[in-house]
Amino acid sequence: MNTELQLQANLDGELDAREVREIEALLARDAQSAALMQELKWTKGAISGNEAEVKLPETREFYWGKIERAIVAEERKAAAAPAERAWWLKFLYPATGLAAVVAVMFVISGGRTTDGADTESVQEDVNAISFRSEAEAMSVVYVADENATYSPVSQEPTNEPEADK
Amino acid sequence: MPQPTDFTTTLDVQLVAASQGGDMLAFEELVARHRDKIYARAFSMMRNEEDAIDLSQEAWVKAWQRLKQFQGDSSFATWMTRIVINLCLDQLRRQKRTRAESIEQLDEELGGVERQMPVVAINPTEGMERAELRKRIDKAMVQLSYEHRTVLILHEFEEMEYKQIAKVMNCSIGTVMSRLFYARRRLASLLQSLKKEQQS
Repeated sequence: MNTELQLQANLDGELDAREVREIEALLARDAQSAALMQELKWTKGAISGNEAEVKLPETREFYWGKIERAIVAEERKAAAAPAERAWWLKFLYPATGLAAVVAVMFVISGGRTTDGADTESVQEDVNAISFRSEAEAMSVVYVADENATYSPVSQEPTNEPEADK
Repeated sequence: MPQPTDFTTTLDVQLVAASQGGDMLAFEELVARHRDKIYARAFSMMRNEEDAIDLSQEAWVKAWQRLKQFQGDSSFATWMTRIVINLCLDQLRRQKRTRAESIEQLDEELGGVERQMPVVAINPTEGMERAELRKRIDKAMVQLSYEHRTVLILHEFEEMEYKQIAKVMNCSIGTVMSRLFYARRRLASLLQSLKKEQQS
């Protein structure tokens, strides 16, 4: 901070005790700084409490009327804002639901898609193997006995045309 | 026809509480009480009656919308004044962006001009009537750039500290000090010129 700004900061009470002592010492030995300080004091003293008095050139009713209308308009706008948002949200909600269903199905299927090929799953905990053939439209479940021999326990033909049975 | 509510003995804090509850009549009374002060601050910054009316009214609308945020840390008048000051500063910044700066204004911003000004050796306001002094100060303030005028207003009339001014004006404390120094020196010079004009 330069000396001039320090003089001003001293006048405005913005310096700490050590800086104030330094400025006082400067003012005692430097006439130019003392003259500048005097000018700053006069100016500050002249302005302080001497702001021009200004009156609003409108009547109470007229001035308030415009404020009241603006408040009402802003409140209407704020109330209308959620309704304006709602039109596109109407489309967003079903889309979100559909996306959730697809995501659940994807997780359940273990990320696999069915392309008509035969699939086989092994359920390790129950010593059972299931077989499903899309081509034959049938499912077979093999369950292991105590000798670990698998034999089919059920066959489920699915929606076969009468003529094929 | 409903009788108008008499708020003459109601305190500001009570009117604020009622307004926070949605009482527009109470808010209208607050507007009536402080409208001159808020308009005067807007006018002192904008130096234009139309802008000052518009911005002061905008400040009242903003105040109504933000009333719930007023916690009573300062007086209602101080809180309102801060709102109008911020609106005026926003408007002045917008105006400045759309207007070419004069060489003198750029020189002021860069600083250094104030150091070339001779020190005013005789108090230019000594023995002056208060009304006359106010008139002269007002006349001199008009000749300052908005940045210098605003710093003076915030420091001398709103009694804000350097750091508070820096925050409101979105600049450094060093810039505040520099602008305040220039503004005071220029004001002293202008007041001296006005005195000489009157004497001659």
